[in-house]
Amino acid sequence: MFVVATFDYSFYLELAITDLEKRGIPRENIGGIPLDKRVEERKTLDSIHRADGFSAFDGAAVLGTIFMLLGAIYGFILSWGPIIWGLIGLFTGALLGFVLDNSFSKLHHSKGKKKTGEKSSEIVILLKCEEQHYEMVKKILWDNQALGVGVFKINDLISVN
Amino acid sequence: MEKKQPQSIRNQRRPKGLISPFTVNYFHIKNPWVTAWWSAAFPGYGFIILGSYVKGFLLVGWELFINISCKLNTAIVYSLTGRFEQAKEVIDLNFFLFYVAVYIMSIWRTYGLTVDLNKLSILADQEDSSFAPVKLSALEICYLDKKNPWMAAALSALAPGLGHLYTHRIPTFFFLLVKFVIVAYFAHLLPAIHYTAVGAFEHAVALLDPQWLLFFPSLYGFAIYDAYMNTVEYNKLFDMEQSRFIKDNYQSKNLYQSLECEFGRCLS
Repeated sequence: MFVVATFDYSFYLELAITDLEKRGIPRENIGGIPLDKRVEERKTLDSIHRADGFSAFDGAAVLGTIFMLLGAIYGFILSWGPIIWGLIGLFTGALLGFVLDNSFSKLHHSKGKKKTGEKSSEIVILLKCEEQHYEMVKKILWDNQALGVGVFKINDLISVN
Repeated sequence: MEKKQPQSIRNQRRPKGLISPFTVNYFHIKNPWVTAWWSAAFPGYGFIILGSYVKGFLLVGWELFINISCKLNTAIVYSLTGRFEQAKEVIDLNFFLFYVAVYIMSIWRTYGLTVDLNKLSILADQEDSSFAPVKLSALEICYLDKKNPWMAAALSALAPGLGHLYTHRIPTFFFLLVKFVIVAYFAHLLPAIHYTAVGAFEHAVALLDPQWLLFFPSLYGFAIYDAYMNTVEYNKLFDMEQSRFIKDNYQSKNLYQSLECEFGRCLS
């Protein structure tokens, strides 16, 4: 039978695979298929799972810094002082940068874009094992933060002629 | 006749990154306008983003020295608040003209260096060069890991440098924290925050030194941005490295054939 599981790239993935090997599933029966990401789609919000080095934060950091500087300067002649005006500048600038960045990237990728979830799995593990090992394999996969585990065996298949 | 290089050397000609005990230095695609902007915000920051620390630290030191010597920040505050006569008076002409050439050169060179490093990054990707994801030394441990970029940004917002400590970029961490403490001390930032918080605004204004305070916005913005950006890129590096490891070690012909058999198309 075949067991299929999806994972994110992490230490757990390697822990799971090495544990399976140690418990007698030979290496040539374990397969890993890294999933390529949709290249044309640039995410605007980076996360630990999906990230795009230069979209989410550039504008916010740049404008935040500029406005903070201006806030600190004019704070010297405004009544609340440089600290509060600096902070107001920082948040205004960062927000403005964020909004501009977002609308800009939406403008760029508005057509034909299908919304995908924030999180998607990154790699599929496919392994061949005997029926009696299935429970052990399943437990190892779940214990190491598999996102999903499925099974694929000959007896369950519908015969199509 | 040209000698053919062995595979092991060829794979190291265009490295993607170097894991050292104190930091991970690596190539990744960056927008040259963004690094050039950080060099404009404070000469040297662009080089620090790129991992070119020696140039970066020297330029930051130069900027601190020359800016304080010619009282540029004070003059900026006077000019922008309409006190032009005072601005002219406060500038030290012995130093002022030193400023310009280095400032322009640092912005220009950051842009050029980013473009070059982007090419090196693409070459490394084409070569698919490998590296070990863990480095141990007697004094420090460095390894690639997945971390949360928003956590790095939040830590740097609490105290510039902490985000880099979290994401293990020790030279930047040490430099930012030291600079933060020096700038905050001479600008009288913390007492001013105290007086602002209790509503004594005039007291805070009188206490703050604009010459030093104006170093702070770029330091703060840079610390948050760079910590966030590096965490994102380290995560990508981790993915890339692990994906290669899996492809190299866990894609056997054996398994492929038994899958084909399962679908009733056995080769043998």
